[in-house]
Amino acid sequence: MRQAPGKVLAVAAGVALLGSGCAPDTGSADGEYRVAVLAASAQNGYNQAVYDGVVSGAEELGISVDTKILDGGFDSTTQLSQLQTAATVGGYDGVIVVPHDGPSLAGAFPLANSVPVITVLNPIGPDVDDMEPQVEGVASTVAVPPSDAAARQAEDVVDYCAELDPCKVSLLVGSLSSPLDIARRDAYQGVLGEHGNIEVVSTVEGNYDRYQSLSAVSNTLQSNRDVDAILSSADQMTLGAELALENAGIAPDSVYLTGGGGTTEAIEAVREGRWKANYLNFPVSMGAAAMEQLANAMTDKPVETVVNADTVGPDGVEPYATRETLSEPAAEDFTGEWNG
Amino acid sequence: MTATTAETQRKAPVRPLLLAKDHAVLILLAAVIVWLSIASPAFFTSDNILNILNQNAPLAIIAAAGTFVIVSGNFDLSTASIFAVASVSAAWLAVETGNPLLALAAAPVIGMALGALNGLVVASLRIHSFLATLASSMVYSALAVLITGGALITVDVDGFADFGRGSFLDVFIPVWVLAAVVAALWFLLSGTVFGRHVFATGGNAEAAELSGIKVDRVKVLVFVLSGLAAGIAAAIAVSRISSGQPQAGAGMELQAIAAIILGGTSIHGGVGAVWRSVAGVFLIALVGNGFDIMNFNPQLKDLVTGLIILAAVALAAVGRRSR
Repeated sequence: MRQAPGKVLAVAAGVALLGSGCAPDTGSADGEYRVAVLAASAQNGYNQAVYDGVVSGAEELGISVDTKILDGGFDSTTQLSQLQTAATVGGYDGVIVVPHDGPSLAGAFPLANSVPVITVLNPIGPDVDDMEPQVEGVASTVAVPPSDAAARQAEDVVDYCAELDPCKVSLLVGSLSSPLDIARRDAYQGVLGEHGNIEVVSTVEGNYDRYQSLSAVSNTLQSNRDVDAILSSADQMTLGAELALENAGIAPDSVYLTGGGGTTEAIEAVREGRWKANYLNFPVSMGAAAMEQLANAMTDKPVETVVNADTVGPDGVEPYATRETLSEPAAEDFTGEWNG
Repeated sequence: MTATTAETQRKAPVRPLLLAKDHAVLILLAAVIVWLSIASPAFFTSDNILNILNQNAPLAIIAAAGTFVIVSGNFDLSTASIFAVASVSAAWLAVETGNPLLALAAAPVIGMALGALNGLVVASLRIHSFLATLASSMVYSALAVLITGGALITVDVDGFADFGRGSFLDVFIPVWVLAAVVAALWFLLSGTVFGRHVFATGGNAEAAELSGIKVDRVKVLVFVLSGLAAGIAAAIAVSRISSGQPQAGAGMELQAIAAIILGGTSIHGGVGAVWRSVAGVFLIALVGNGFDIMNFNPQLKDLVTGLIILAAVALAAVGRRSR
C-alpha cells in the first residue's frame, strides 16, 4: 500500500518532466545547465543535504545550473521511472542520483539519451561494494564501499572488547531485505567472528528509524541486559538504541555505542561521551563533489570515476570520529552536515 | 443410527470450530505466549510484558479506534499521515513555544480535526472512504513535509519526553493511556447507543438510515475518533523519541487494519469489537518481540507474521463454513 503513493508520484513526476520540455534539447546552449537530482526521498534529511551540496557546489564552480530535486519516495520503481524519464524527455544535461536501490536502478541503463549520471552514497549496479561505474552511462560514484565502512566500525568494537571475555555485541542493521545492509551485516560478522571473546548476541533491524530501533533494542535487552556493545550502521538507529538503554535503566555511556552518518545529534553524542564513535558522512560535501564531477562530464573534461566520500569532508575532520578526533583543533568546530 | 443421532454427531465437532471462529485471535495469542514462555525465560517477565505493551501502545490505540471505522463499513487509510502531521506539529510547537504541554495537547486536537475532515468528505461528497482517505493521506503527508521542510525536528525542551518515557506506579505512562483509551472505546462501542448505531451503519447503512439513524453523522464521528486516536498515538511517539519527522508512522495504517481484521472484525462492516483489534495488535507484536529476544533471523519475521495472520483467518473461515 505504501507503494501506491509512490507510483502516483512516479506518474506525476513523469508528467511534470514532460511538461518541462518535450524534447531533449539542453539548456547548455544558453550557458545554463539543467541538472536533475533524483533523491531516494526528498523528505529525508540526508537527501536534502546532498541536494544543498549540489546547489552550493554549482555556485562554487561558478557555473549557471538550474537544479531540480525529484522525490523517489524510497521506492525503486519510482526512481527508475524518474531516471528513464529524465534521460528521455526531461531536457536535462546531467543527473545526480542518490539511489534507493542501486542494483535495481541498473535496469534503467543504457539510457535513451547520453546524459551523464553521477551516483552518490551507493553505486548503481549489482555489486554494492564496487565503486567503479558498473553500467554504461554512470560517469562517477561518490561513496565509500559499505563493507569497508562496516568493517572499520567493527574493528573499533574489537579494540573496545579486547579486555572483555565474553564481549557481548548486538548488531543493529537497517533492513535485511536490502543488499546494502546485508553487506554491512556480513562485514560486521566477518570481523567480529575472528575474535573468540566476542559473542554476537543479537541481530535486529532498525529500518533507519529511531522508533523502530527503540522497539527492537528494547526487545533484545530483555534477554541481553549485559550487552557490551551495540553496533549500528545509522545514527537514527543508534539514537533509538540509546533511548532503549535509558528506558532499561542502563547508562548509554556504559555501553559501546556507535553509528553511521555524522548527524549533528551523533556528533554531539560522541563529544559528550554518550557514544564511543561515529562513522561520519558528509552529504553536503558529497553533493558538491558530485556536482563537480558532473560539471566535468557535461563540459567534456576528465572525470574521476570514483570519489572516495571519506575524503570530501572538511580538512582535518577524521571520517571515523571519536571524542579524541573531534577535539582536534581542525575538528572542534565541526557540528555535522545534516540531521535526520 | 437415527437421523437425530447422526445430526448430533455431525454437530458435536462443530462447537470447537465455532469457538475457533469467534476466538481465533485469542487461541493464537495464547499459543504464541505459551510457546515463547517455554522457548525463552526472558519472555514471560513483567519487564518484557510492560515493554511489549509500552512499545505497541500507539498502534493499539489507533487500531482500537480504527475498529469503529471498519465496523461502520469504512476504511481509514490516512491514520499514518495524520500521525505524521500531529507528530511534526507537536515537535514544531514545542520548539517554537517551549511549552511541552501545549505541544503535546495539540497533537490529538490536530488529529481530531483531520479526522473530521475525512469524515465530512466521506459523508458529504459520498466518496468511498477507501479513495477519500487514500487521497487525504497524500495531502496530509505533504503537509507533514511542508511543516518540517523534509527535515527532522529535534525537541530539546524540558518535560517534553515525560509523556512518552515517564512512568507512574512503575508502569509507563503510555500503557496507562492505552488502558484508558481502550476501556473508553470498548464501552463506547459495546455499551452505548452510539456504538449500536455504528454497528447498524456498517451492517446495512440504508436500513439504518430508514430506522432513523443519522448515518452521515455516525460516519463523521467514527473518522473523528480515528483521527483523535492517531493524534494521541502521535503525542506518545513524538514525546518518546523527542523528535518529529514527516515519515513518522509510515505503514502504520496497514498494520492497524491488519490487526483489526486479524482480531476478527469483519472487513465488510457490522461485526467487530475493540478487544479483538487490541488482541490482533499484540499477536503481531509478540512475533516481533519473540524474534528479537531469541535472536532469530529477522529476514523470517515477515514470513512468520504472514503465516500467523493466515492461520487466524483460516481458523475463522473454517468455523464460518461449519456453522
